[in-house]
Amino acid sequence: MRSPVATAIAIGVGLIVLLSYLFPLPVLASIRMLFLDWAIILAAVAGLVAILNLFSVHWRKIGSPRERDYYSLFFILGFIFTAILGLLLGPTDERIRPLITSVQLPVEASLVGLLTITFVVSAVRLFALHRSWISGLFLASTIVFLLVGSGIFLTNDTSPVIKEVLTILNILPGAGARGILLGIALGSLLTGLRILLGMDRPYSE
Amino acid sequence: MTDALWSLIAFVLTLAVLSYAIGDNPLFRIAIYTFIGISAGYFAAILIDQVIIPRLITPLLSPSASVGLMAIPLLLSLLLLARLSRRLSFLGSLPMAFLVGVGAAVIINGALFGTLFTQVRAAGLPFTPAQSSPSGWLTGIVLLFGTMTTLVYFQFTGRREPGKGIVRSPWVEWMARIGQVFIAITLGAFFAGVILASLTVLIGRLDFILQSINTLAP
Repeated sequence: MRSPVATAIAIGVGLIVLLSYLFPLPVLASIRMLFLDWAIILAAVAGLVAILNLFSVHWRKIGSPRERDYYSLFFILGFIFTAILGLLLGPTDERIRPLITSVQLPVEASLVGLLTITFVVSAVRLFALHRSWISGLFLASTIVFLLVGSGIFLTNDTSPVIKEVLTILNILPGAGARGILLGIALGSLLTGLRILLGMDRPYSE
Repeated sequence: MTDALWSLIAFVLTLAVLSYAIGDNPLFRIAIYTFIGISAGYFAAILIDQVIIPRLITPLLSPSASVGLMAIPLLLSLLLLARLSRRLSFLGSLPMAFLVGVGAAVIINGALFGTLFTQVRAAGLPFTPAQSSPSGWLTGIVLLFGTMTTLVYFQFTGRREPGKGIVRSPWVEWMARIGQVFIAITLGAFFAGVILASLTVLIGRLDFILQSINTLAP
């Protein structure tokens, strides 16, 4: 359902905040601070809604005979235990810290470690399936920058010619990165303008 | 004793996650489901404790002039909670519109003043008299050329020609081809960076496993 009230709110609020950035008047700045404060609260509530929705999905999976998933029990137990402990003691309490250092950190770090294997396998598969000059260049660039990043050229024995070549090599990704960054900024600008003009309404049902 | 127990938990979880290298298995799934549950619970506690209570509940309970003003975010928050119900979820579109409107304005400001202007200024810096040098000029030209060709690669506007579909002009096509080279080199460099970072983390985990075996073994 496309609500005209919702569209008016999005356009009105967005234009006020944008104007406050373009014209630094004290009145507009204080309205912007107020709106940003409300937006932070709403973003937190939206995050809470997302988490509660995730909880309800896993709760349903335990109860439903058709799509029963016993692993969801581990989610539910982990969630309830941490949420209650976090709310009773406060999330910054010293007694909560082991949950971060002994559960979150090891799992996150191990998942990142697993990425190494996944990345290498997918790079090899990419080259095996799509043997084009562009995938070859991508792979060559990866190998060159892996060698550069490993630091084997950072010794005193490295010849000045190689050092000069490395300096030039390091410029090339900078140019591409700036182009990609500008492309992302232009895309974001366009998306924001489309929302403020009411052409895109991601908040509608 | 407690430290040893937490170390044992970290050790078991590390092994369970790394066991995915040999294929999907129940140990990996238990570790991941537990991890997501704990992360979600912790994130929920942070949201309530660090944002909702100090920014919404406390001002509402305090006897100040801003109480009336705080009724608006309270009302919008209650409407947002209606998203949890399938029948009442349409009520959530009003707070979402507010959030999207503010977000769009912040994104436009960030893209304009945070990225576009600063990057364009940085692209011109090597050519300013204060910083100009032969090597600086060369670097600046390569950077500018690479940036322009990369941007041209993402330009898909062309002329529709019978039997050929949409065709770009020859010079745009050539610039786009050069831009593709810069993009491939850039993504290769990023990929190498990510592999190196994840490899460092993997070595750290393997080192942790070896240390834990040494510590936990009788």
